[in-house]
Amino acid sequence: MKNILHLIKKDYIIFWHDKPAFSLTFIVPVFLIYLFGSIFSGPGNSPSGIQIAFINNSDSKIAKKLESVLDTTKTFQLIRSYTDDKGKKAAFDTNTIKDYIRKGNASAALVIPRDAFTDTSMGLKLKFYYDPKNEMEMQLIEGLLTKSIMSQMPGLFMTSMQRRSEIILGSGKGKSFNKKIAGVVSQYFNVDTAKINKWMSSSNPDSMFNDTTSKKANFFIDLLRIDKEQLVGKEINNPGATRSVGGWAIMFLLFSLSGASTSLLDENKSRVILRILSAPVSREQILFGKYLYNFSLGCIQLLVMFFAGYILFHIDIFSNFFNLLLIIIAASLASTAFGMFLAAVSRTQSQASGLGTLLILTMSAIGGAWFPTFILPPFIQILSKFSIVYWSMEGFMDVLWRGSGTLDILPYIGILIGMAAIVNIFSIIRFKKGNLFL
Amino acid sequence: MISIKNVTKKFSKVTALDNISIEINEKEFFGLLGPNGAGKSTLINLLVGYFHADSGELLISGKKVGKNNYEVRKKIGLVPQSIALYDDISAQENLEIIGSFYNIRKNLLRAIIAENLNRVELYERRKDKVKGFSGGMKRRLNIAAGLLHDPAVLLCDEPTVGVDPQSRNAIFDYLEKLNSEGKTIIYTTHYMEEAERLCSRIAIIDHGKIITSGSLDKLIQLLPYKQTIQINKNHVTETKKELFNKFGAIIDGQEMYELTPFDNIKFSEFFKAMEDNGIAYNYIDIQKPTLEALFLHLTGRRLRD
Repeated sequence: MKNILHLIKKDYIIFWHDKPAFSLTFIVPVFLIYLFGSIFSGPGNSPSGIQIAFINNSDSKIAKKLESVLDTTKTFQLIRSYTDDKGKKAAFDTNTIKDYIRKGNASAALVIPRDAFTDTSMGLKLKFYYDPKNEMEMQLIEGLLTKSIMSQMPGLFMTSMQRRSEIILGSGKGKSFNKKIAGVVSQYFNVDTAKINKWMSSSNPDSMFNDTTSKKANFFIDLLRIDKEQLVGKEINNPGATRSVGGWAIMFLLFSLSGASTSLLDENKSRVILRILSAPVSREQILFGKYLYNFSLGCIQLLVMFFAGYILFHIDIFSNFFNLLLIIIAASLASTAFGMFLAAVSRTQSQASGLGTLLILTMSAIGGAWFPTFILPPFIQILSKFSIVYWSMEGFMDVLWRGSGTLDILPYIGILIGMAAIVNIFSIIRFKKGNLFL
Repeated sequence: MISIKNVTKKFSKVTALDNISIEINEKEFFGLLGPNGAGKSTLINLLVGYFHADSGELLISGKKVGKNNYEVRKKIGLVPQSIALYDDISAQENLEIIGSFYNIRKNLLRAIIAENLNRVELYERRKDKVKGFSGGMKRRLNIAAGLLHDPAVLLCDEPTVGVDPQSRNAIFDYLEKLNSEGKTIIYTTHYMEEAERLCSRIAIIDHGKIITSGSLDKLIQLLPYKQTIQINKNHVTETKKELFNKFGAIIDGQEMYELTPFDNIKFSEFFKAMEDNGIAYNYIDIQKPTLEALFLHLTGRRLRD
């Protein structure tokens, strides 16, 4: 028994000193639990601040009430204006709001038309423009939007219905109509007229909306008519695969390039680096050679993955191939820089592997590779903007989903190359000060 | 050929080399003998240009060694202490990669590789992955990799670590042949037997300082005695080895005790004491003292302490 205890103690001592194993055992899972918990921990933590482009062209009270409801809810953030080509703020009209969605500035737009609610209409007509580049996001937006409208509007609907019945039947005619109906029902079904009349007069209109299981609710849902128009991605062959290929591609690119970069540490440990340095080769050449190798490997890997997407899921990679290539190059540069960063800050390959796994899983989770970023807590959404995964995915989606041109994707390319430059400068400083060549 | 002048190298607070100076002649087989951590590998790394010396200078054929002095590097072949090869590719591919750094034409490089693999008796295994090689084969390939560009100087940093005696002898024969063909060899080791067998001149290094240097005979003359008594180890000699302390200092070797007798000790008295104490011995020999004894004499420590 003593020996068994000694063996257990031995393993704990080794484990305690194995920092990568320690981080993968505790730190990574705890972080992921926090992340997933934040996302899926129920209605109290439902998404907030989802940006929706918005126009209200109607003068009706209902439209104003609806606007006010959407304005006050935390779920949505209404955007009413855009910046035009001259850099000036301008209010949306129907054309500009559609362009706004097409360019990917927001995923959805709600337009309350001038004739959204009239004295002669039975319900509320809305116009909904959307870009389903993220299916989950779109379903959630639609659901939350309908819920927000329906939960706040029943009173106004009833008021408007009563007003309409008065217009059609005349003032005070509603009560006499109810009495007549109650009398007919009583005559045929042998029920007390007063009771029927009382029920008809006292029915709580709000209860009809809250009762989602009855047919009454369906009636009111039908009163809200939302005309939907998909603005982007209608012609995409396989939307699901097109959406997901970029995220998985960039995640596995990061894994493979991390391994390739940190092989420097193994080469140093086996003294192969020393042997190479004993030849007419400089340290800078070794680092640059490794960087270029990883960069080319990254480009090839991404091309192979997208080509596999083309073969397996008929993802259209060729109609915008040049721009796809630009994003692939920028993403590979940034991912290579990340791999070199791991080699620069780690002492051993196992240390680099642990740190790499932690960072790659984190970047993939917060960058949108696993689920859309809008469902993340707000401060993590800010953090996601610092990840290579986020900008690579945005670039891939713009090219594959939206068919964006070179000018449109320049910001993504710029950000990815900027990230690569910053990380590379840091890595070079670390390589100079660090112990890779000792 | 190689001139090391007042070289000092420090790592943080540790002085790895402390103002050392050595001159090594062309075609010499020069040994650098010292225990682990003495500074041998640091000196090799300085000669390769891997580090900068904090002070002093290193010259090869009159040219200063530096991090980016490629002309000097072309004169040097390195055999590192580790097996500095890629395990997952073949011997041939390893040598092609290493040779490619010296701008040798492809066809010529192939011929050189074939010749070198033949010389280390690995040509038949050239297409096999290195990870399938024995320790001795890897060591031989490690040496061949340092010779592809036909360097004038070969730096061997403990090239036989972990090698069986048979392979070690094969490596010694090969290095001796290279030396006889005109290569200058600097050989670091903490095995005095290796230095004694191979090196025409030896420097003993400890704590970053050269304690002494010279030919083996010259070094042995530094000892105050001319012979040592070697006694084989067995259960009787091991239990009564305190007896030897009366006659001299004992070096506890792997198979032998090496007794360096005190002055004025008579061998007849020593043998009588052995017999009186019932110490049976089936081997006893009187020999010239070894470098191990010299190191003990100079530092008060054994080479492998």
